[in-house]
Amino acid sequence: MTTVKNQSTNPASILYRRCIIDLANGSATLAKVPCKNLEDVLGGFGRSFQILAERDIAKAYSPENPLILNTGLLTGSNVMTGLRSYFSAYSPLKKSSAGRPAAMWSAGSGNFGIKLKWTGIDEVIFENRSETPVYAVFRDGAAGPVVELKPAGHLLGLTGHEKIMALSRHYSDAHFAVIGPAGENYQSVYMGAVVLSTDNQLKSGEPKSRFAGRGGMGSLMGYKNLIAIVAQSPDKLDKITPAMRDVNRDIIKNGGSARFQPVSQGGGGGTWANIEVLQAFHAVPLNNFRPKGNDDVERLYRDNVEKDFEVVAEACFRCGIRCHNNLFHRNPDGSRGKLAAKFDFEPLILFGSNLGIHQSTQVTELIHLCDQLGMDAISLGTTLSYLLEYNERHPDRPLLNGARFGEFERIRELVEQTGRGGQEALGKGVRRLSEQLGETSYAMHVKGLELPAYLPDTNPGYVFAIAGGHMSMGTHMLLAKEGKKSVEEWVQAITTGGLLQVGYDMIGLCKFVGVGIGHDLIVNGIREAVGLELTSAEIVAAVRRAYLRGLALELRQGFAEDEYTLPSQVLEDPNPNLTLPNFIDGEFLEQLRQRVWSVFLPEMAGLLPARES
Amino acid sequence: MQVTVKLYASFRWRLFHEAVREYPVDAMVSGVANDLEIPRGEVGIMLINGRHAAWDDLLHEGDIVSLMPCIGGG
Repeated sequence: MTTVKNQSTNPASILYRRCIIDLANGSATLAKVPCKNLEDVLGGFGRSFQILAERDIAKAYSPENPLILNTGLLTGSNVMTGLRSYFSAYSPLKKSSAGRPAAMWSAGSGNFGIKLKWTGIDEVIFENRSETPVYAVFRDGAAGPVVELKPAGHLLGLTGHEKIMALSRHYSDAHFAVIGPAGENYQSVYMGAVVLSTDNQLKSGEPKSRFAGRGGMGSLMGYKNLIAIVAQSPDKLDKITPAMRDVNRDIIKNGGSARFQPVSQGGGGGTWANIEVLQAFHAVPLNNFRPKGNDDVERLYRDNVEKDFEVVAEACFRCGIRCHNNLFHRNPDGSRGKLAAKFDFEPLILFGSNLGIHQSTQVTELIHLCDQLGMDAISLGTTLSYLLEYNERHPDRPLLNGARFGEFERIRELVEQTGRGGQEALGKGVRRLSEQLGETSYAMHVKGLELPAYLPDTNPGYVFAIAGGHMSMGTHMLLAKEGKKSVEEWVQAITTGGLLQVGYDMIGLCKFVGVGIGHDLIVNGIREAVGLELTSAEIVAAVRRAYLRGLALELRQGFAEDEYTLPSQVLEDPNPNLTLPNFIDGEFLEQLRQRVWSVFLPEMAGLLPARES
Repeated sequence: MQVTVKLYASFRWRLFHEAVREYPVDAMVSGVANDLEIPRGEVGIMLINGRHAAWDDLLHEGDIVSLMPCIGGG
């Protein structure tokens, strides 16, 4: 972006650098585009959703559906965690009951985003589709960014990690966004992820990728025959000022990020700790989001897993929050062996207890396989658990290979087949599968997007998430943390704090910074990194508008009132094993919806471009 | 008075899972945390007998106090 220290905060004075690639004819155009508003300035989905709002898209797999790759205002800056890149489009996976695709974004870390920013490009719009497989290269050239499209046939069939390593042998000083076999098989896999490279990965040769998983952005890349993206540039970091050092020290020292630091440093040990805390309430998803009130899940506690693996805390590039819990096999002599998998709460539970699997060696294998094939762990895990429950309910007429909870080998087979395009029943997600089967009450999705590993029984906020259920509405742990259960408390949570979670998917920082988006730390970071003097209130207002624009887009794409609900099992058959209050019933949801819409609808007026009727 | 203290996750790893401990009659949840040298900023969830509690809630003989660290993310 072109910003000058102490410049006016008039958005039109701030330019971002856009590249439009027409994959049909191979042309690339570069332009400097003035920002229309503060959402444009902050970036990420705040900008991309404004572009998507200008398009009338009825089918995700259509040439008119653009794939927008962009970064946030602080991506590539010296602000710690400023690594994020974003992929936005109309999703092949999330669709309304009217059949129209939802606008979605997905975010990822790794080094790709910063390399893209350092080539001199803030945003790429991939239009149409290529007739043959290609990869895009963005290079920092002497006279500005250089853009090329190259044949990618030689990459087909490789795992995400293999593609990254193959490209890294040809492109030095570069990082990569690729798809795995799942994305290549886009016709039968709607949940393909974008696989992003990391410096740890390139240095070690180990599959330590990061993922922009939600919403099938990798599948859309596959549809467009865009197999990979290369961003090549020397690192371009400004000198760190004392004030920037203060910002980064605040990120480390503030209570928000401490929970993600290693245990050895006095931290909480990352998201793994969520299991034990939620288990205290018997609120850890088990057997398709149905905890039994037993202690099965305790086999996945950290201290039990450490008996089988060496757990090493690692971090993203230049990040002081060492939140990665990487599991390594042990060699016979006790030394560290190969990487088994990275244990985050979501894949750990959704490939573990939620499938009835409690052996860490098996869970790591499923996580690793899903990652290598390039699928979204949340969507795959939650669709799988539905299938397993279906087979439990119908032992006389099981589906696919008849896999049931805990049957590791059969589950593994399904993961492999799905990722290679051989199980479209799973690859197209739980909404389509359950509607096809006519059994939807235990299909764990809201508005067509599979739920993450927090019980819907505990989170009515899911109803108003506009992308990933817990990353676009920060209410998923509210009941466990604070015991909130009244309509008033939840209206307040959804309409004020919860929605602001999405702000991090605008500015380019990781949510593990752990403070509200209007915090002084964010204001100071923006000032030090790009010279913009913004107030907390201005940032919060822009984030709020971006969120509401997303909600308005949902309505425009045909999401009906009755889709703003939770899986019906929550209401019809509450789980007696939870020790948290059972507070969600039909009346609660009805009152919640009425109250929340009464707040949101008036503010949504005018956020979308007018359409001819 | 005697109070059962239950600790979870990083608190458990550092200290213990469950112990019966002696506290003065007017002890609060904060007293338990201070006694165990757990800073306020690290405590995410506090329960008394399974119900959400506050830092300055009073305890009674036989109570079960649960302390859990801050959790986040996904």
